[in-house]
Amino acid sequence: MRSAPSFPDEVPVLIVGGGPVGLSAAALLGRYGIDCLVLEADPSWCEGSRAICISRRSQEILGWIGAEQALLAKGLSWVGGRSYFRGTEVLHFEMPSERAQRFAPMINIQQYYIEQFAHAAALRTGRVDIRWSARVSTVRPQSSGVQVDFQTAEGRGRTVRADWVVACDGGRSTVREQLGLQLEGMQYEGRYVIVDIEQDTRREVERLAWFDPPSNPGSTILMHRQPDNVWRIDYQVAEHEDAAQAVKPENVLPRVQAHLDMIGETEPWKPLWISIYNAKCLTLADYRSGRVLFAGDAAHLVPIFGVRGLNSGLDDAGNLAWKLALVQQGRAGETLLDSYSVERVLATRENIAYGAKSTQFMAPPHRGFALMREAALRLALESPGVRSLINPRQTLPVEYVDSPLNEPDSGAAFRGDLRAGMPAPEARLRTLQGAGHLTALLGGGFVALYFSDSPHLPASLRPLVERPQPGVAALRLVRVATHGEPDERTVVDERNQAWPRYDAAEGTLYLIRPDGYVMGRWRGAAATAAGISQALRRALLETDDEQR
Amino acid sequence: MNSADIDAVYTELAESIARVGEAKTHLFLATLALDLLSRQANAEAALEYILKAERLAKI
Repeated sequence: MRSAPSFPDEVPVLIVGGGPVGLSAAALLGRYGIDCLVLEADPSWCEGSRAICISRRSQEILGWIGAEQALLAKGLSWVGGRSYFRGTEVLHFEMPSERAQRFAPMINIQQYYIEQFAHAAALRTGRVDIRWSARVSTVRPQSSGVQVDFQTAEGRGRTVRADWVVACDGGRSTVREQLGLQLEGMQYEGRYVIVDIEQDTRREVERLAWFDPPSNPGSTILMHRQPDNVWRIDYQVAEHEDAAQAVKPENVLPRVQAHLDMIGETEPWKPLWISIYNAKCLTLADYRSGRVLFAGDAAHLVPIFGVRGLNSGLDDAGNLAWKLALVQQGRAGETLLDSYSVERVLATRENIAYGAKSTQFMAPPHRGFALMREAALRLALESPGVRSLINPRQTLPVEYVDSPLNEPDSGAAFRGDLRAGMPAPEARLRTLQGAGHLTALLGGGFVALYFSDSPHLPASLRPLVERPQPGVAALRLVRVATHGEPDERTVVDERNQAWPRYDAAEGTLYLIRPDGYVMGRWRGAAATAAGISQALRRALLETDDEQR
Repeated sequence: MNSADIDAVYTELAESIARVGEAKTHLFLATLALDLLSRQANAEAALEYILKAERLAKI
């Protein structure tokens, strides 16, 4: 297939929607050895900057497809923010970060750059065929695949048969509608106008929020810097204002000007993009429907406050791609895909809970919340104890509690907060290539982290390195030593970060999934190749309905 | 209280205000305030809270 001029009649995976989630899913699937066709209704990358805050977890996922350098070169990294009530600072928050970290807790970058990087990454795999202006009209599920009708850019009708369809076609998903599936949940009334403007600035990159500012009394305003001298400005629209009126430049620009004047940003500026938004907490009950899988906004819509929209969509792609690749390659049973739904629906429920909390503060849904916010903002002037109420609760990776893939601990007990179903903690390490990070080992296949200072692999672990599997099924054994020299299979925890974070003792073994989540861990005599193989077999081949 | 506790209390108070309705909100908050103030160690401490709230309400 590749860039063949004609459309294929059959594909292993059809991705409907070439936005950031669809293109990232395609790039991951391509990397894992799966051919995909991507159909996008629009003629190119998105217009307007849309999602702009990329979490550390999302940066890791984009790192797996090789977009890391482009992302870091273009994006603006930040660690915290400030909130003001009237003219006074009432909160200064910082997200966890440490020296020489691989990724900042957040970077700001326009969504169209993410789409460009993911697009380029997908093409680099040589397995992804991306077609613009190709609009899906009909989706017909069959027992062992899906038939999809679409219209090409030239207006011709075509049909493609796919073993699997991944629906990444956004909040108004055609695939979802074709399958007769409904989002469940609720919407908030409070609306925000979103404006991007171009203006030179030297201001620090932070999340800035103003409640009831002198520039726009009664309103709430958010500001974020983006690359290319672009400001994102969000402000709350009064209840009585009409949506169509609210986005008219003659109503938007004076409010922006007043605020820029207030904060002393005096360079000339011009508007680039204006939109309007209200918070939604909506999700499908199941992200798998036979041979169709839903990801990103097609599966769920969460409030923007806390930046869980695109970030959760990229996590969907990261969770789904390796599972779908293993199933398509016959290395895992179809039920592995049910764990995608279980894990990501759980993540959405948590994202919605946090997003709803943020929304209750940013766009109070009734007079109870409006009155309490008035009280909290005033109290925050004098009482630091309540300032956490103003914190935007930025996105964090979700723990897959009770996932069918989680393996119970084996051997002596582990201390600390880490468990199977949580993201593998980061650590700075010395590698054969020099200073490096633990998370850079992840994202390609399974990784067994073997914490040991003995360079000789015990016989009970040797089978792990003797019969290498191809593709994403590969299991790479990496020894984490406390001292000594790195080699092809050894990294050195010279700063003593990895051992304590994994509560490791000599011989401790961790199995990390291709998406960087801890799958299981073993201590002492329990740490054997047989233990790992059994865990993998159980997760990939034997996850039956009962365990769902 | 940790921040999650404060968060839960904030949300519950907001929902209670909505439940008692606009006409009874003042009464509800005054009852709550008197209940909490009566648990202070002494009148001095209670008066400090009253003055602080009065000052902040005027902002």
